[in-house]
Amino acid sequence: MDAVTKETEAAKPFTFKEFGDALVEFFSSLKLAIFLMIVLAILSTVGTVIQQGERPDVYVKEYGETVYWWFVKLGFIDIYHTWYFSSVLVLLCINSLTCFHQRFPAIWRSIRQDKVNVTAQFIQNLKRSATVHLPSDPGTVTEGLALAFAERGYRVLVNKGDAETTLYATKGIMGRVAAHVAHLSVTIIVIGGILGNVIGFRDFGVCLEGETYHIPQGNFDLHVDKFWIDYYDNGAVKSYNSTLTVIENGESKLTKTITVNDPLVYKGIWFYQSSYGDSWDRVEKARVVVREKATDKVVGEAILDWKKEAVLKDLGLKLQLTDFVADFGFDAKDRRVYSKTVEHENPAIKLAITEREQTLTAPWVFYNYPDLFEIQGSKYKFELTGYLAKKFTGLQIAKDPGVLIVWLGSTLLVVGVTLSAAIYHRRVWAKVVSGQQGATVYVGGTAYKGQIDFDREFDRLTERLKAQGGQPT
Amino acid sequence: MLRSLFLFDVTFWLYLAAMGLYFGYLLASRKALQPAMAGHPSASSEDDGWAQPLGQLATWVTFFGLLVNGLALGTRAYERMQISGTFAPWSNQFEAMAYVSFAIIAGYLLLELKYGIKAIGAFVVSIGFIAMGAASLLPYRYQVAEPLVPALNSYWIYIHVSITLTSYAAFAMAGGLGVMYLLKERAERQGRQGTIFDTFPSLEKIDELGYKAVMVGFPLLAFGTILGAMWANYAWGGYWSWDPKETWALIVWLIYGAYIHARMNRGWEGHRAAIYQIFGFLMVIFCFWGVNFLLSGLHAYA
Repeated sequence: MDAVTKETEAAKPFTFKEFGDALVEFFSSLKLAIFLMIVLAILSTVGTVIQQGERPDVYVKEYGETVYWWFVKLGFIDIYHTWYFSSVLVLLCINSLTCFHQRFPAIWRSIRQDKVNVTAQFIQNLKRSATVHLPSDPGTVTEGLALAFAERGYRVLVNKGDAETTLYATKGIMGRVAAHVAHLSVTIIVIGGILGNVIGFRDFGVCLEGETYHIPQGNFDLHVDKFWIDYYDNGAVKSYNSTLTVIENGESKLTKTITVNDPLVYKGIWFYQSSYGDSWDRVEKARVVVREKATDKVVGEAILDWKKEAVLKDLGLKLQLTDFVADFGFDAKDRRVYSKTVEHENPAIKLAITEREQTLTAPWVFYNYPDLFEIQGSKYKFELTGYLAKKFTGLQIAKDPGVLIVWLGSTLLVVGVTLSAAIYHRRVWAKVVSGQQGATVYVGGTAYKGQIDFDREFDRLTERLKAQGGQPT
Repeated sequence: MLRSLFLFDVTFWLYLAAMGLYFGYLLASRKALQPAMAGHPSASSEDDGWAQPLGQLATWVTFFGLLVNGLALGTRAYERMQISGTFAPWSNQFEAMAYVSFAIIAGYLLLELKYGIKAIGAFVVSIGFIAMGAASLLPYRYQVAEPLVPALNSYWIYIHVSITLTSYAAFAMAGGLGVMYLLKERAERQGRQGTIFDTFPSLEKIDELGYKAVMVGFPLLAFGTILGAMWANYAWGGYWSWDPKETWALIVWLIYGAYIHARMNRGWEGHRAAIYQIFGFLMVIFCFWGVNFLLSGLHAYA
């Protein structure tokens, strides 16, 4: 590759190819990698210090208007989805891919062939080197060395010459291959993440027992059979459970009880047990106490089921619970009653009253304000003294087609990083030169990483050589 | 009163004793080294005096502490089994700390076994001891074995939490070695001799061991975080939610990723690497403790 570059350099002073090479050099550089990782770490830190995705008033309250304005400008309130955060991620991918493109071919080639023939000078300039004189036959020395390396798991190449023999031993090239596998895996994970963002979705649904909900993304229906909570003996919550049934084309396809760690999956759509709570627009039952207006005495009591008529024969009353709001609000424009929040702050029921076969207007009866309105044309007063809230189960509904790609990338990442951390690439050269009284051995080597282990190995090797009767110089 | 708490207490005192013994070993070895300075080419083993028995004892006390630590975790696992039917003895902050100190001490003993360098013990066992001590300073309600909340009640807790915590232990070791490096470097620069720093391994060796510790922690943190993502995919409705804890795991991982890449350049070994290892460990501490107490998020129960 170097030779090619030089040739073009001679022909033309500045070419697109050269510009391209410079660009590749920049994008594959170690410095860029370090810079990008640090930038990503800093941006991520900002996102953990400033709460993400809160309502504006939360920020204004904590930081003030001006700072909030800057936060919005800089994207700090949703930093992980800003253009610059994504750009850094993409740059990191480009960086690792160009690094792969630049360096991997050479590593791959050196698995098959490597530089065997080197000079004694080259060996002596290596990070670790030694020179040993041995009184033995050069052939025996070479064999002994080759055997010593082979025993330690090295791949040995020997180049026999007339006066000298060069021996090359290497192991652990896979550690460097693994590092590049890890580089590629980063891009795979990012691709999986983008895919999930583009064609996946995440939704949240508040679902009531006994109701059926249409899931448009999968074109099927989901029926909530049941929701309940299990407790430990000490009263702490053990698990939240919802039994769900998938209905497709009017047929029940699948029934499963989901818990927090065990979602239901159908047609690639996942249903998670995410939350629960008291419903704000309906109740199971309500208890209503009836007083006589004239005497203010309790004359009757009824437990009303949701939207079912109850008859109090001796009072000549028929009652029906027709509506409920958890936090009473009234929209004057639409003349409509609604629940201001999901909290049970000001609960009220709408009570349809039929007294002696005469239907009266259906008034709202408040739990907190029993004497608010007088009901015209009735002998009685009605008080809401209690109700059983209907529980809803909060389901997270998500589809992420990128997730398998993310797992593929993650597996490669873990395997790549582990192997590259555990396997060190080591290379040793030895030159056996025959002299008048036996042989002179020049031996030297380098380790790509893990110098300390290599040092020990190298020391043992030279000890072994010396033990054969040689004198180091 | 839980039986495991007593054993955790014993562990604490044993680690304290071990730490004292290792420092005693350092001091004794310094004395042993002094005649060598006066002219003998090397300190022979007869001159060791107190150093050798102290070093031996330190190692055995540490080993015994590790056994009790393991026993305490085992007992806690049994207690958890009785209470809630899951046994992971790293289900709250206290247990996690106790597990981290177990991992640090185990890692140190392996290192001593392989390289036979006792001087490191004074620093690394100290970190293990501090982890154990910090755990025992937590309020009692954090120390007892409460049943798991529904989100944690999963087999993922066994593997995700233990692997992540083991990576913290490796980074703690690297941090301790970084401190050692800087101390020794300063003593050498000032030309001081006959100090405890003489008993430290050579600067290159400390540097290389620190690097190795990071190389153990780095893949473990990657694996632990990815297991966490897999768990989140079952429990939270997505593998990545930018929850402060997982974001901080990513930050720490990026910081060490930058370290590993920087070390491929010359000039990033030694001094700078040592400072970086300490900085990285501080970030780990924040990820482990700071996030739980300062930032709110989905990991708030840990």
